[in-house]
Amino acid sequence: MKYQNKEGWIFVAPLLCWLAFSICVPLYIAIELSFFDIKIIGTEGKFVGFKNYIKTLNSSKFPKALTNSIYWVLANAITQTFFAFLIALTLNKHFKGVKIATNWIILSFIIPTVVIVVIWKLMLSSSSGIINSLLVQFHIIDKPIGFFSSSTSAFVSLVLINSWRWSPFLALIILSGLKSINQEIYDASKIDGASFYAEFFQITLPQLKGVLFVLGLVGTLLSFNVFDIIWLITKGGPSSATTTLPLLIYETAFTKFRISQAAALSVITSFILLTFSIVFIKIMGKDND
Amino acid sequence: MKKYLSILLVALAMPFTVTPVNAATEVTFWHMEGVPHRVDRIQSLIDEFNSANPDVVVTQEVQNWGEIYAKAPASVASGTAPEILVGIPDFTPILAEMGAAQPVDDFISELDSKYGFYSKALDQYTYNGHTWAVPLWNMAISVWYRKSVLEAAGVQPPTTWSELEAAAKALTKDGMYGIGLPGNKQLYTDQTIYSFMVNSGASEIYNSDGSLRFDNEGTVKAYDAYKNLYQYSAPDAANWTWGEAEACFASNGCAMILQFTVISTYDSQAEGDAEDLGVIQIPYADGMADSAGTVSYVNSAMIMTDDAAKMDASKRFISFLMEPGNYGRFINMEPGLFLPITEAGSKDDTFWNDPVAVKYKSQIETMLDNSTRGSLFGFTNGNTFTSISAISAQNLLSQTLQLAIIDGQNAASAVAEGQSIMTEAIE
Repeated sequence: MKYQNKEGWIFVAPLLCWLAFSICVPLYIAIELSFFDIKIIGTEGKFVGFKNYIKTLNSSKFPKALTNSIYWVLANAITQTFFAFLIALTLNKHFKGVKIATNWIILSFIIPTVVIVVIWKLMLSSSSGIINSLLVQFHIIDKPIGFFSSSTSAFVSLVLINSWRWSPFLALIILSGLKSINQEIYDASKIDGASFYAEFFQITLPQLKGVLFVLGLVGTLLSFNVFDIIWLITKGGPSSATTTLPLLIYETAFTKFRISQAAALSVITSFILLTFSIVFIKIMGKDND
Repeated sequence: MKKYLSILLVALAMPFTVTPVNAATEVTFWHMEGVPHRVDRIQSLIDEFNSANPDVVVTQEVQNWGEIYAKAPASVASGTAPEILVGIPDFTPILAEMGAAQPVDDFISELDSKYGFYSKALDQYTYNGHTWAVPLWNMAISVWYRKSVLEAAGVQPPTTWSELEAAAKALTKDGMYGIGLPGNKQLYTDQTIYSFMVNSGASEIYNSDGSLRFDNEGTVKAYDAYKNLYQYSAPDAANWTWGEAEACFASNGCAMILQFTVISTYDSQAEGDAEDLGVIQIPYADGMADSAGTVSYVNSAMIMTDDAAKMDASKRFISFLMEPGNYGRFINMEPGLFLPITEAGSKDDTFWNDPVAVKYKSQIETMLDNSTRGSLFGFTNGNTFTSISAISAQNLLSQTLQLAIIDGQNAASAVAEGQSIMTEAIE
């Protein structure tokens, strides 16, 4: 047993070293940068201690971006979980074409983000978009609306686009969990006269605890760090309504040219995510050991 | 045997150790004109230059306006900056401050004596005792409309803001928006709102001591007028850049737009009826005819190397582009958009003989005339300070506008908040 443990460590050691290197080095650089007043990458700056941290925490942009990030993660989690379960439960049924459907849904996360953005921007355009056109045609709205023009509609539109992209991926993971549940449990519950809801809440959900734990943790971290879709569609606007922390970091570094302040912001963000992960594992991981 | 072996080894090693005496000097030319036909036109000029100058090899690399503000300083820091970078005035101070953009005073004098730069062109690049870039072409925003659409609505081309608002209101009907005005936090919106500021006497962003004078009566008046007009613009104008506005005009979705040009899209994607295409200068605030003007952007070439050979090669290439005979073809990479910046250039047959320039001659003449009254925020009356880069790069004029048109603040409080945002940004 001991020998097997040793052998295992030897095999994973290169990967562990690489992970430690690729995480620790950038983190070290970010922490070091955050204590200087460097504005543009590659230029010199003087040591300023915690000034960048104080400035970041006192700025009006940070709490707004943090709030946006929290709303973003929650809205995506709810929307994506709902659609992912809907898809997974549907694909878990036996019907003609289920294999084609399972493969087909992968498309949304195979397509490059830029293409997705172009497609959705065209579809949601107020002057030539098909969605506005249909809504007007069916008298749901009087005149075309700008989906990205007000703070709320831009935020909701982005959540829906991002969820459209990632829900199928989550669905496949849930589907693999569903497939691993022993069918005999369902058969027994049917004999006992269990309803669909009783089956779902008392068999399916508890059996998927492990899968949902991983999805909850990884999905939250991935959602929090989404940058591309938001940047390409709204660039954080209108009026900073969709500026999440990753966008604020980018803006601070590359449009405000405050690289040290951006580094401080990155360190704070890393700390927030690390705290979340530890709390999440402590609370939710108890039953998943 | 040993002797022959040594000679053979030396001969084999020669190509790796000896630099050829006649190695060509490489010049990388970064620009943001990524439309395929513009890239093709630039490439054809580069090919001509390279074949006439075998000791220099110029290559173009197309960049993106959206990323260049971040990419150029990063390229300087990483030692991968191009030898020539095409830019706009608000982009130059930061590169000059970094020591990347080289002063070109002597080169400018040489070109000026040959071709005669318009004085306003050099103003946007001359500060801190030097000229920092070679002006290449000018661009100025005008109001574009279809004469037939205005006639059908019984509307005269507006000259004042009240006339403009009345026209936009009258033209907003039957699925058409009276005016296409952007509300995005982006350069295009900076340009359109500034063109209003110019026309209410608020063209100055700075006082002579470098402090901000953005929050003033003229600016508030301009933001208020813009906010009133914005209700007649398309609902998704909050995400517009130049392309969406042009598309709105080309598709008859917008009756009027503020744009550098619409000639290319109107000619290729709309009716292409030169007689029906109208262009006028931006209307001015009521009673302020003396302030009439617009925003103009003098695009330029910065020389980003202090290597003598590369600098010389870069100057030779820029001189080649400025020569009459080449110059018209160069700026006609997008006919009807880029305007001459030198007296010789404005007389260049290769500029006026282009079929598009022939067809839309009257419109281009109006554009040229408007451009003579153009100014740019942060580059007026010699009050140029490097902090303007922070205001431009972060699009703070349009960010301030969003406070009014998206968040619903009144113009006065939006402008006051805008000034405090700008003050924080330039600290």
